[in-house]
Amino acid sequence: MDVKLIIIIVSAVVAVALIVVFVVFGRGEANFTFDIGGASPRAAGGSDTSGEKTVGNRLVGLAVGVAGIFAVLIARLWSMQLVSSDEYAAEAESNRTRTITTDAPRGRILDRNGTEIVTNRSSLTVVSSSDVVDDEIEVQLLANLIGMPFQAVRRKIQDTSEGAQSKRTISVDVSRRVVAFIAEHPGVFDGVDVVERSQRSYPLGSLAAHVIGYTGTVTSAQLEANDSEATGITYESGDIVGQSGIESEYESVLQGVKGEQTVYVDANGNVLDTSTTIDPQSGSDVILTIDATIQTAAEQSLATRMKEIQESGYNATGACVVCVDCTNGEVLAMASAPTYNPNVFVGGISTADWDALSSETANYPLMNRAIAGQYPSGSTIKALTSFAALDHGIADTSSSWYCTGYWTWSGNENDTTSGWHCWYKSGHGTMTFVTGITNSCDVVFYSIGKGFYYSDTQEGMQETFRRYGLGSSAGIDLPGEMSGRVPDAEWKWNYFTSSSDEARAWQGGDNCNLAIGQGDLLVTCLQMVDAYCGIANNGTIWRPHLLKSVKARTGEGSVIDYKPAVIYEPTEDATYRDTVCQGLHGVVYEEAASQAVHWTNLDVDVAGKTGTAQQNKDQPVGWFIGYGPTDNPKYVIGSNVDEVLSGATSAMYVVRDVFGAIYGQPDESTSNSDIVD
Amino acid sequence: MALEMAGPQDGSGIGSRLSAMFSGGSSKNASHLSGKRNVFSELYLSQLIPAALLVIVGIVTIYSASLTIAEANFPRHLIGIALGIIVAAVIWRYDYRTLANMSTALLIIDCVLMLLPKVPGLGYSAKGMTGWVQLPLIHLRFQPSEIAKLVTIFLMASVAAQFNGKIESLRDYVRVCATLCVPFGLILILPDLGTGLIILFIGATIIVCAGARRSWVLVTIALIVVGATVVVATSMIDGLPHILKEYQLNRLIVFIDPSVDPTGDGYNLQQAKIAVGSGGILGKGFGNATQAANGFLPEAQTDFVFALFAEQFGFVGSLVLLGLYAWMIFSTILLAMRMDSPFSKLVLVGCVAMWSFQVLENVGMCIGIMPITGIPLPFISFGSSSMVAQIASVGIVQSVWKHRQKSA
Repeated sequence: MDVKLIIIIVSAVVAVALIVVFVVFGRGEANFTFDIGGASPRAAGGSDTSGEKTVGNRLVGLAVGVAGIFAVLIARLWSMQLVSSDEYAAEAESNRTRTITTDAPRGRILDRNGTEIVTNRSSLTVVSSSDVVDDEIEVQLLANLIGMPFQAVRRKIQDTSEGAQSKRTISVDVSRRVVAFIAEHPGVFDGVDVVERSQRSYPLGSLAAHVIGYTGTVTSAQLEANDSEATGITYESGDIVGQSGIESEYESVLQGVKGEQTVYVDANGNVLDTSTTIDPQSGSDVILTIDATIQTAAEQSLATRMKEIQESGYNATGACVVCVDCTNGEVLAMASAPTYNPNVFVGGISTADWDALSSETANYPLMNRAIAGQYPSGSTIKALTSFAALDHGIADTSSSWYCTGYWTWSGNENDTTSGWHCWYKSGHGTMTFVTGITNSCDVVFYSIGKGFYYSDTQEGMQETFRRYGLGSSAGIDLPGEMSGRVPDAEWKWNYFTSSSDEARAWQGGDNCNLAIGQGDLLVTCLQMVDAYCGIANNGTIWRPHLLKSVKARTGEGSVIDYKPAVIYEPTEDATYRDTVCQGLHGVVYEEAASQAVHWTNLDVDVAGKTGTAQQNKDQPVGWFIGYGPTDNPKYVIGSNVDEVLSGATSAMYVVRDVFGAIYGQPDESTSNSDIVD
Repeated sequence: MALEMAGPQDGSGIGSRLSAMFSGGSSKNASHLSGKRNVFSELYLSQLIPAALLVIVGIVTIYSASLTIAEANFPRHLIGIALGIIVAAVIWRYDYRTLANMSTALLIIDCVLMLLPKVPGLGYSAKGMTGWVQLPLIHLRFQPSEIAKLVTIFLMASVAAQFNGKIESLRDYVRVCATLCVPFGLILILPDLGTGLIILFIGATIIVCAGARRSWVLVTIALIVVGATVVVATSMIDGLPHILKEYQLNRLIVFIDPSVDPTGDGYNLQQAKIAVGSGGILGKGFGNATQAANGFLPEAQTDFVFALFAEQFGFVGSLVLLGLYAWMIFSTILLAMRMDSPFSKLVLVGCVAMWSFQVLENVGMCIGIMPITGIPLPFISFGSSSMVAQIASVGIVQSVWKHRQKSA
């Protein structure tokens, strides 16, 4: 670099020198020759030697030199002011104009009836410029005024996460007193401003927190991932974006279009004048399929039932409930417990709050168990096992089994080492398909599992389960949905790689476990609800969804209406369907009187299935999936409660409570269900 | 100047002015027509008119600068012009030829002027150099080096004119060059490299035009080239004495590669080029210079005044401005050719060299063909010392005209 520079400078100086020499000397004397190197020819010139002549020639040279200077200057001006003028003009314009963006409010989130679940409020925010940090007295005064520790204020001012040039957020939602004090003492709080910012607000509190999700400052990963051409949104550091739930899923709709103000500035960045202003466009309102009334009941039910269960000595560490309209896939309620308040994320969540929400002892309040909680299904799977048996000819509608309460693979009742008990150890006696489902008789389904093991279609159960959507995510419009697991021989072999070949191989016992929804089967509550939608809806499963429509920014009407789509169409023979539905109806009204008493006080006829699944915890997970009205099914409601005694004493109450909220007939029976499965 | 301003209203002067403009100032016709020697025959109008127009252009430009730039004090600019006209009038009356034999006195005056800012109590620092003198009691500040430029013209002209148009002996040549080195060396002590370069250029032009031998000049230029290269090179390499100040070196580097920006010089150059380029054909109009008015263009009233002018008046304006300079310079060269005495010729050559170099440097640095130095644009730039010196130089040319030997 240095060498190159020297060479350039030297050649430039030499070039200039040569030009000067040529101009001064080349003109004057015609016979300029190098070869003689002396003065003799000039002497022959006679008058040439006179001083006057020399000076005259040199003056001509001077004139030519000056002319050369002007020619160069004009040539350069020609190129700059005529040829490249546009580029320079553009640079001059970009020099003096700056674009200031104004934030647009996010769209609201409403329930299906237009009730506001999430809206915006304006919040008074204290901001300061970065150089305030140098004035310790001012920082101390500010800290005293707001009631924050000195070091905390200092750190906030030094925080550049919202951009090095932008003002630093010190405190949101300050009181009028603080605002007034700052306004009255402009000399003291130099560089400190109070601005109004739009903040998320939750008029219904934490209602549907897991569905709507929360917002936060855009992360650098999100900034990089955003394709502004595809989404039409340009993010800046410090922008508030959806981080989970609907807020994240429909970010592109909820996010408004920033306003732009073009201003003229001077070299110091002071605004001199405003050129053009484009007002911000607020984000579109999103209307959910959620019904705030049902949702409220669902959440209250989870809270009260969990508390009851906990008081009776069980952990009840988590629970969820989903209510889907099986005729179109609309999710009317989706609740998960424990829950959280999305308001803690507004204006930035504190470290303490975040630690509390993400700790294991709090049982992960941020997790939406309805779509992300994977459990074995327990006996709720038996409806699907029945379809599998009928479809693949393992049994027919007239088959019968005899339950002694104990079952062995070989059929030898004296074999006490390799047999399994029915959950009802006294034995159900003679069981048909219908009574087998109604009483959830395990022996019936052990036999079906064994039947599949020896049949041509060894994985017939898995095939049927998958037809009803198990093992894959339903594609609900929420981030973080889990797909569960339908175990088969291939999966088992690949999963237990460190075990012996015999242990890795699919065993007959795996079939028996699968038939009753135990073992390695994993499902989410939403998946089971979808499967039961297939049963209730005569084989049509709509994609579950939370978006009903997107409201137009201006005026009435909607810009986007959710188009329901069928995701699975498990076809069944009508007689098979009748058999299974009859069994499910019996679960509610016939299996146990203590169970039926909770449903007979509801005018609507309901069918469903309880389940209690063993898991790697001290206490099983309890299930109930129900649908109604049975003559023309509309609502499918499923629930599970983690770490309880049984499904009938936990999840069933929750589902009953939601049905009660829909039909306005709350469950007034206080009797405890018998421990049935 | 005031006389000249009154001129256009005086109908009887038109003929003389026209002839003066186009015949190199021969006032024969005018004298015959008017029947008496009027004041116009004593004024070399073809140099005076463009100079006056340049001063007017300067007034307009500085006025536009004064609208937004606090430093551009318009009344002070006018005072500087008035002062300059008084000095020029005195010089015009004075017979400059008496200076031809006063080279020793001129050399002493030159040295005194150069060293004035170094005198304790008088020196005044601005922009990192002690080039100013603040007179006690009246608080008048001026740059003696501006006046020294004119003294140097006379000094070099008087020394070089002794050889009657042909410097034949090497000893004489070295002596002339050595004389030039005195003021040049002193001004580098200040330090004021910009004015130093002007003085060097003035002196060199006078020496060349005084009839120095071609080969000696070539050798001298070669020596200067080698010397300059050594100076630059040592300034760049750590461990060797840095003769150039760091900012001077930076300006050179920026000139070669404007994208590097060691101390903001690259930014300044870029802003100046944007100002000139964005002016386009007709410019943004009077008072609409966004680059200068909004502070993007630094020193818009002094060093970068051409950028300010070109942004407002565009290519056409720049052409007119350069045309005025060309008119003034060429008519002065023409006058020099007509003069008989070598001293007169060389004094005029000195003035021509001064204007040409300052125009080249000031305009050139605004358009990126010369390195950045703080050299004012004659008659335009804000700054009273420079303005007085420049208008005084007009007085010198007029004095030469007034005291010319009348040919038959």
